Amino acid sequence: MSIFAAGVSALNAAQAGLATAAHNIANANTPGFNRQEVLLGARQAQNTGAGFLGQGVDVSTVKRVYDEFLSGQVMQEQGQSNYLTTYYTQIKQLDNMLADSNAGLTPALQEFFSAANGVANTPESQAARQTLLGSAQALVANFQSLNQRLTDINNSVNGQISSSVTTINGYAQQIAALNQNIVRAQATFNGQPPNDLLDQRDQLISQLNQEIKASVIKQSDGSYNVFIGTGQSLVVGDKAFTLRSVQSLSDPAKLEVAYAGSGGTTTRLQQSSLQGGNLGGLMTFRDQSLDAAQNALGRVAMGLAGTFNAQHQLGQDLRGALGGNFFAQPVPVVNNNTANTGSAVIGASVSSYAALTTSDYSLRFNGGTAYTLTRLSDNTVTALNLSTPQTVDGLAISASGTPAVGDSYTIRPSVNGARDIALALTDSAKIAAAAPMRTGEALINAGTGKISAGTVNAPPPVNGNLQALVSIAFTSANTFTVTGAVPPVVGAVSYTAGAPISYNGWTTQISGAPAAGDTFTVSINNNASADNRNALLLAGLQIQNTLEGGTASYQGAYAQLVSQVGNKTREMEVTSLAQAGMLRQTVQAQQSLSGVNLDEEAADLLRYQRAYQAAGKAMQIANTMFDTLLNLGR
Amino acid sequence: MRISTSTIYDSNVAALNQQQARLLHTQQQIATGRRILTPADDPAASARALEVSQSDAANTQYADNRNAARHTASLSESVLQSVTRLLQDVHATAINAGNGALSNADRKTLATDLQGRLDELGALANSTDGIGNYLYSGFQGRTQPFVNTAGVMQYQGDDGQRMIQVGASRRMAASDSGADIFMRIKNGNGTFVTQAATANTGSGIASLGLVINPAALLTGNSYQVTFTSATTYDVTNTTTAATVSTGNAYVSGQAISFDGIQFDISGAPLVGDQFTVAPSTNASLFKTVSDLISALNTPIAAGNAASSAQFTSSLNRALNGLDRGLDVVLTVRASLGSRLREIDALQTTGEDLGLQFKQTLSQLQDVDYNQAISDLTRQQTSLQAAQKSFLKVSDLSLFNYI
Repeated sequence: MSIFAAGVSALNAAQAGLATAAHNIANANTPGFNRQEVLLGARQAQNTGAGFLGQGVDVSTVKRVYDEFLSGQVMQEQGQSNYLTTYYTQIKQLDNMLADSNAGLTPALQEFFSAANGVANTPESQAARQTLLGSAQALVANFQSLNQRLTDINNSVNGQISSSVTTINGYAQQIAALNQNIVRAQATFNGQPPNDLLDQRDQLISQLNQEIKASVIKQSDGSYNVFIGTGQSLVVGDKAFTLRSVQSLSDPAKLEVAYAGSGGTTTRLQQSSLQGGNLGGLMTFRDQSLDAAQNALGRVAMGLAGTFNAQHQLGQDLRGALGGNFFAQPVPVVNNNTANTGSAVIGASVSSYAALTTSDYSLRFNGGTAYTLTRLSDNTVTALNLSTPQTVDGLAISASGTPAVGDSYTIRPSVNGARDIALALTDSAKIAAAAPMRTGEALINAGTGKISAGTVNAPPPVNGNLQALVSIAFTSANTFTVTGAVPPVVGAVSYTAGAPISYNGWTTQISGAPAAGDTFTVSINNNASADNRNALLLAGLQIQNTLEGGTASYQGAYAQLVSQVGNKTREMEVTSLAQAGMLRQTVQAQQSLSGVNLDEEAADLLRYQRAYQAAGKAMQIANTMFDTLLNLGR
Repeated sequence: MRISTSTIYDSNVAALNQQQARLLHTQQQIATGRRILTPADDPAASARALEVSQSDAANTQYADNRNAARHTASLSESVLQSVTRLLQDVHATAINAGNGALSNADRKTLATDLQGRLDELGALANSTDGIGNYLYSGFQGRTQPFVNTAGVMQYQGDDGQRMIQVGASRRMAASDSGADIFMRIKNGNGTFVTQAATANTGSGIASLGLVINPAALLTGNSYQVTFTSATTYDVTNTTTAATVSTGNAYVSGQAISFDGIQFDISGAPLVGDQFTVAPSTNASLFKTVSDLISALNTPIAAGNAASSAQFTSSLNRALNGLDRGLDVVLTVRASLGSRLREIDALQTTGEDLGLQFKQTLSQLQDVDYNQAISDLTRQQTSLQAAQKSFLKVSDLSLFNYI
């Protein structure tokens, strides 16, 4: 009786349909779930001579509605979106840190120079001097706390890299396990697709993509090989590789990613190959924004300390001693690559704060005395012969000891600038507000010659004979002799009104018409409590363009940092928003194919319910037909 | 197009989130009054704001500096005002002393009076700013500038002049060296000085003289006029020991000129009387006044023409010295006055500039309330609409009818 058989097959088919609809409804909110549908096929018909009579229906398979292309696109967009969002979240911290222009470095810098002006106005006042020290301390503390925030962010990036690596390892193992299960399930069940396992694996791949950009190559046995970054294998069949976060060779404060080999060995990955996803975002943020911000801040601190110290050393303190360092001077950092085999020591010091950039440098030994210096911000390469110290970008680089070919060093000129700046003075009397020499004219001078107050020649250290008594005696209206200068001046010097006269490390001018017999002196500046010449120059540094090739003041250089961070944050905000929109579009397209629509499922429920009822009716009728036959014999 | 149920929820949640974020941003702008909440909101403007705020701070600082400069200038001005008054008093006394009716005793009384004024002058020259810093000692604020050593006032300070930054590109002198005010006062007519020898027996008195040919005077030599009789005189250049002219006829009050110099001698010089002409040198105000005192203290022998002429010469010299000293003090006061006026002018400019900086800053970083509040209302309306429509849409389901 084919009617019964057909009825039963119809009941089964309707049941399968109902079960699938229920499964779809149940998983409507399951992440990564692709809706499934029952594929039905008519059974082979029976040839009766009077034509083919249908035998009912077969459930040929349950398949998931899945488009490889759309899913792959979602994964890509997801990875990119996570990359941008992570970068944005991280740089937003910098942005917030620099947010309020009325707090932070700006007011501290302004108050410091306001106090320096106070000393220039009343150099003899202890109160003004104490205020300068106090505001300098506040400024230094401000630099240090900003730097601490950056260090904290770096530590948090390290932590996130570690946890991201752990997460990636977890995903890799699960994917490998699923690979194994899927291959086995397909083999066991005649190649029927294990839909939910496939969904799970796809979901894991998608999650992996959120951590790092991953690409997938499908194998003929149904397993996936997964590659991360620019082609480093993570999962091959049922085997997962393990990643590990390790200290960077060139900078111990940074974590990097490496393969964990057997027996605790590690194989380092090219860090630039780790792209996309959270991990890529963290790495790029650290390399492009965090380091740059720390360097830029450090450069402001270093430049301030360097230029302020240089001017301070040209002055004389309240006790008559030459000025020393006002700030403790931060110095460039040279990291030896821990894999180096040679014993060379690379020295780096700042020779010009104006020429200093915010970039880090990588130095590589090529043999002989030849080195290659790469500026990391733009990969500009300079060949250096370090048999003698060389100067690049305001940085004096020297080498000693024996390097091995291939040894490399990372030079970070200003990374510790904001951390290491400190106040070198505690005694307010040691603020060098005065100049170490003064000029004078004899009271009996008959001419109208006037000598200017004079300046000390930069740069420090000052000339050892700066304070030696020098007299300039006019032998006629147009000539003078100089005594006391080192080296001695022989013979008469011709006089031009207003022309600079420079000996022993100072420069002054005589103007007007001196008469023969007039004398002018340059001498030690004793008891000069009211002299503010150096304080005036110190206070004037505020508006001088001392940094960035002589185009930016301290505040200007800081404003550059703010603008750079602001711009990058803005860029990341906009692109991450755009990417999120893009992702939504792609997900929508993918979901419109594979997502569950509850109304559709409701309709399916009704459809299969009706089908079930109809099949039941067919069987009831077949039963009645049987009854008719059976009743025939009564 | 087929829509999956979760898409309806997801996209609505995303849209609501975005609208809420925008609403919060506008609300924060209104609450803080700042258009730029973080540099990312407007990177260019926030960097510019930092630069403008530095200019503004520097401008405010210059105003403080100007106050400091004004303070010291006013202080110096009031001291020099007293000095002026004192010099005018001494001048009046000196003129009074020239009155022929006065006796030696009267002149001694005047001398005593002047001694008091001299001490006062010393005290003024040693004025402090009230906290122990001398006004006129150059860079050596704690060193008393004028010290009386064996009856002569010596200057202990230096020629330092303190400058104060009163504008972005203007440094102004905030102090003056005491040497320039009290010590460097040229005697004679400022170029040369004539003087009768103390041994003169006649009653000849030399005038101050004047320069008639500046080019020729550059020699800077000293000369001597020697009377060979009551009516003739010779002129020699004592620096080069050259004879300039001999046997000139003398007429009282008639110009004597040589090498660009011109002066006259009046009265009745006698044979052997000498008058010297030398380049001007610096004589301190103190010396001028103390010379005057000693002249007043020197009795005039009755009927002695030479003695009387010497007193007149001394008196003339003192009056000239006082005039020249007054000139110097008034010049310094004029410069103080012009500094104070410049400070006032700079103050006005500075205030205008400050206003402009504040305006620029406000334009750069302050919120436009009209804009912000209208934005807020618009965003509020659209968020409400999104919320309401979401409710309606999510309510639609076939299951409601099964």
